[in-house]
Amino acid sequence: MSEKPLSRFHQPIAVPGRRLLHHVPLKFVRKKVAGGGQRSVNQEIPLIPFIDFLLCIVLFLLASFSASGELPIDKNVKLPNAENVMDMTDAPMVAITGTHILVDGNPAGSTRAIEESNRMQRVDELFNVLKNKRELWKQLNPAKEFPGVVVLQVDRRVQALVVKSVFQTAAFAGYPNVSFMVGRLPKTE
Amino acid sequence: MAGIDVGGHGGKRATNHEIPLIPFIDFLLCLVAFLLVTAVWSQMARLNADARVPGPPKDEPPEEIKKEKQLHVEMRGDRKFQLIWKEGNTVVNTIDLDKKQVPIGDKGDYRYPDLAKKISEEWNSNGSHRAPTDTKLDQAVLHTDNSTPFSDIVAVIDAIYTPKRDFTFGGKTDKVPSFNVTFSVN
Repeated sequence: MSEKPLSRFHQPIAVPGRRLLHHVPLKFVRKKVAGGGQRSVNQEIPLIPFIDFLLCIVLFLLASFSASGELPIDKNVKLPNAENVMDMTDAPMVAITGTHILVDGNPAGSTRAIEESNRMQRVDELFNVLKNKRELWKQLNPAKEFPGVVVLQVDRRVQALVVKSVFQTAAFAGYPNVSFMVGRLPKTE
Repeated sequence: MAGIDVGGHGGKRATNHEIPLIPFIDFLLCLVAFLLVTAVWSQMARLNADARVPGPPKDEPPEEIKKEKQLHVEMRGDRKFQLIWKEGNTVVNTIDLDKKQVPIGDKGDYRYPDLAKKISEEWNSNGSHRAPTDTKLDQAVLHTDNSTPFSDIVAVIDAIYTPKRDFTFGGKTDKVPSFNVTFSVN
């Protein structure tokens, strides 16, 4: 009478674990080829995604790179902020700080006379500086049309009388497109 | 390390080459550091205004200036704004509006949202230059007291620039302010 094989439910329970190359009889060979039953200690650092990430950062920074550098803002000027603004442009910068007027950081008159007379008037020194700048630009770019743009950097506390006087002086010196430098406020709907 | 395996056997020079990734990463890191140090995170912008002074004399005869409606914004006094539509010297319409400041942020800035809304409504009903191909803008003239602080002027100019319209130039359409602002000398 032949012996009936055990069903799979009656077979002895095998210890779970790795099987591949574990049947090699020589112990030192088995240990080498089967990895000693431990995880490998050599780890690959994923360099390619790291390089991709670095390249993305480089491209973003290059796209936002400004060769002209930071806009010079006088420390004493506190600019107002506005919402409906335009991007800055490269143009002569007229700063009004206290009673001083500066063109690209160089002194170009005072507002004291305007405040004392309490009426709008031309600032002669500023007029001459801007006129010279315009003439120099025309000599350097004879074929181009003069854009006539000037940026006013005005402290938020300066009175309208001074602003209007400087505005008109710039206009009569050949800069009719006057822009006011402001801080950018986030858009509200 | 990354490598290129193109096969190659039989006593020849190995054609497997390692790309030197570590110096490449060092170079990229230096580039990132340089760009971060020199980056300009500027929040500065500008508000445009037009002085409307005559340009240099030209040989051609001057264009005939058509009388157009202009919006005069009076900000004299502490309580009210006055919006006046004028055609030449003729007053077409006058609107009074309460001066309601709405503070924004903690730096002492404020806005005039009611004025901005009213100016938008006025441009929608009375604005002359609406077509995207129209290169001219409607004119707004700002009247201020001599003692008005500059921050107040900026708040009003900001309100005047609230209405926007399409502007097509060189096949590209952008949103631009509907008005061009100038100052009244009086």
